[in-house]
Amino acid sequence: MAGIEAKDVSKRFGDVQALKGVSLAVAPGEFVSLVGPSGCGKTTLMRSIAGLETPDSGTIAIGGGDVGGLRAADRDVAMVFQSYALYPHLTARQNMAVPLVMRRLDAWRRLPLIGDLLPGTRAAKAEIAAEVARTAELLGIEKLLERKPGQLSGGQRQRVALGRAIVRHPRVFLLDEPLSNLDAGLRVQTRKEIVELHRRVGASTVYVTHDQTEAMTMSDRVAVMMAGEILQIGSPRDVYLDPRDLRVAAFVGSPKINAFAAEAGADGLVRVAGTPTGVAVAIQGALTFAARPEDIAPNAHDGIPARVEHVEFLGEAVLLHARVAGATEAVVARMDARRAGTFERGQSIRLRPDPARALLFDAAGKRIVARAVPLGLKEIALG
Amino acid sequence: MVDAARPAVAFRTPRFGEGAAAWLLSLPAVAAYLLLLLIPTLAVAALSFTDFELGLPGARFVGFENYAELLRDRGFAKSVGNTLVFVGLVAPASIAAGLGLALLIEAGARGRTFFRAIFFLPVVSMIVAMATAWQYLLHPTIGPVNAALRALGLGTPNWFGSSDWVLTSLGFISIWENAGFNMVLIMAGLTAIPRELYAAAEIDGAKSAWARFRLVTWPLLGPTMVFVTIITTIRSIRTFDTVATLTQGGPNKASELIVYTIYQEGFTFLRMGYAAAMTVVFLAAVLALMLIQTRLVERRVHYG
Ligand SMILES: Nc1ncnc2c1ncn2[C@@H]1O[C@H](COP(=O)(O)OP(=O)(O)OP(=O)(O)O)[C@@H](O)[C@H]1O
Ligand SMILES: [Mg+2]
Repeated sequence: MAGIEAKDVSKRFGDVQALKGVSLAVAPGEFVSLVGPSGCGKTTLMRSIAGLETPDSGTIAIGGGDVGGLRAADRDVAMVFQSYALYPHLTARQNMAVPLVMRRLDAWRRLPLIGDLLPGTRAAKAEIAAEVARTAELLGIEKLLERKPGQLSGGQRQRVALGRAIVRHPRVFLLDEPLSNLDAGLRVQTRKEIVELHRRVGASTVYVTHDQTEAMTMSDRVAVMMAGEILQIGSPRDVYLDPRDLRVAAFVGSPKINAFAAEAGADGLVRVAGTPTGVAVAIQGALTFAARPEDIAPNAHDGIPARVEHVEFLGEAVLLHARVAGATEAVVARMDARRAGTFERGQSIRLRPDPARALLFDAAGKRIVARAVPLGLKEIALG
Repeated sequence: MVDAARPAVAFRTPRFGEGAAAWLLSLPAVAAYLLLLLIPTLAVAALSFTDFELGLPGARFVGFENYAELLRDRGFAKSVGNTLVFVGLVAPASIAAGLGLALLIEAGARGRTFFRAIFFLPVVSMIVAMATAWQYLLHPTIGPVNAALRALGLGTPNWFGSSDWVLTSLGFISIWENAGFNMVLIMAGLTAIPRELYAAAEIDGAKSAWARFRLVTWPLLGPTMVFVTIITTIRSIRTFDTVATLTQGGPNKASELIVYTIYQEGFTFLRMGYAAAMTVVFLAAVLALMLIQTRLVERRVHYG
């Protein structure tokens, strides 16, 4: 097994800086997801690792060896493309055989008719056929092998593309949004299958997606990318509960984290809209106070004043959308459906974020240390 | 938008059925087809059963006499033979040259538009005017080509004057003309091939340019190549202008191509009925050729 190590990789297309010194290390056998909004450079990083794009600067190593001088064909990586990129004129079986045929048969042996007459061709072809059959069985696509890509559904094409990638046991798998063309139900199912497959095959995998649920549920670690930079790499738990950057906090989690413009006084106490939050920080001045929907609860007596906009009943939970005076985005609070009271549109309420779980970010969006302080009675009265 | 939508709604009322609407909409195309293609063709076919001569009054129905004469006409047989040799030379060579040029220009980093324009020039320039340039270039005594050959100590053929060389010389001009045309068609076909397929081929281990060509370019260019083959065959069968301007079918009928023979029969000897019979045979042969070509190729080409 081989790991991947990209160091300070930069790539520029004309006046677009697609990658700004990205570093990413994937341990042998690890499953790492790259998430980020569209156009943030995920595909470019992937293609650089594969050798389809030459970075302007930085190094890429696979299995400990620098692959900068190697072309894609020699890097022993397999890639599943966003569009699958199956050869439209070949059947599923032939598509899956291509990587083996290209590697095991030389140009002469690949020739029709003449190739078969050369010694060893038949044996090699028989072996390739057997390996393709085995891979097809693993993916459950034995019945589709004689069809061409045009006669396959999106999910089936995706499977054939996966088959073409795993059939030759590459050192590294690169999957570029392989599920983006599937419907929601199939996506959940295929997600599980890919994880299973990764467990069985065990090769290091980089998985690109802009669907954070996919990233969170599948990966050992998640790398959050934005505007050509990796903002944070960590376990799904880390990027959700312990984001290092406001953009990471905002990207991961649905509904989105609630961010409030806040002010830290000389005493370090943080106030949102003049209301004390029960959180203290070591700096002073403007900052961002953020709390996940499940860490905010409506409260009768104290908290940030807001007006109910609408209520969504999700079954197990209720989402309360409320607006703080002057804010552009609504605040979302998530409550246990059985314990939530009833709310009416336009009703005035107060929202109280849990101070122990609040996340604080400085003016530049970097996370800062915060501690919960008990609110004095006097302060509550003032608020 | 609303106004444009209104007639369509009107067509859908039961009084004015969908079929009628379809006919009405295709009327211009049908009319053009009838007026410009079918009627003239039928007129030629009808003419081929008469002894109509331009300038003489009246025409007599002669049945298959013109066709019977065709079978015995050695000049016509010679002309058919010449045309076959000519097409056999020009079509494959200009398709191969067009493909080669298109691939070279696509692979090149710069100067794409420039080279495309250069090689397309023969197509947009009038071949009759260009023929004069060729006449000079290939002139047996003062032409630069023979001057170069002489300098190299090689033989200096009389390009248009010798019956051994004349078809080759005309063929060369046709190749020069058709290659640029094919190049543009093939370049259009090349741009339609998804880039990601080349990336996939590279990852799959297709290292040489040849391997990628075999795996991706050639199969995906299939539909384009079918079209190019058919169009080139037709264009070379129809060659007329170079023959008329440079050789007039000579020397000794060695460069008589079929369309030139038809032209001579009809407009020099004014035997319209006989020329019409030649035309009908010619059309039937071209049609049959096209059918065979598409049938043969269609089975092996991937569309869509
Ligand atoms: N070949 C190219 N030429 C010019 N610009 C490019 C090229 N490839 C990518 N870019 C630009 O680089 C940036 C990153 O593109 P990239 O394809 O890596 O995004 P992505 O994160 O994969 O997005 P998506 O989620 O939409 O697939 C974009 O701004 C894109 O426009
Ligand atoms: Mg992408």
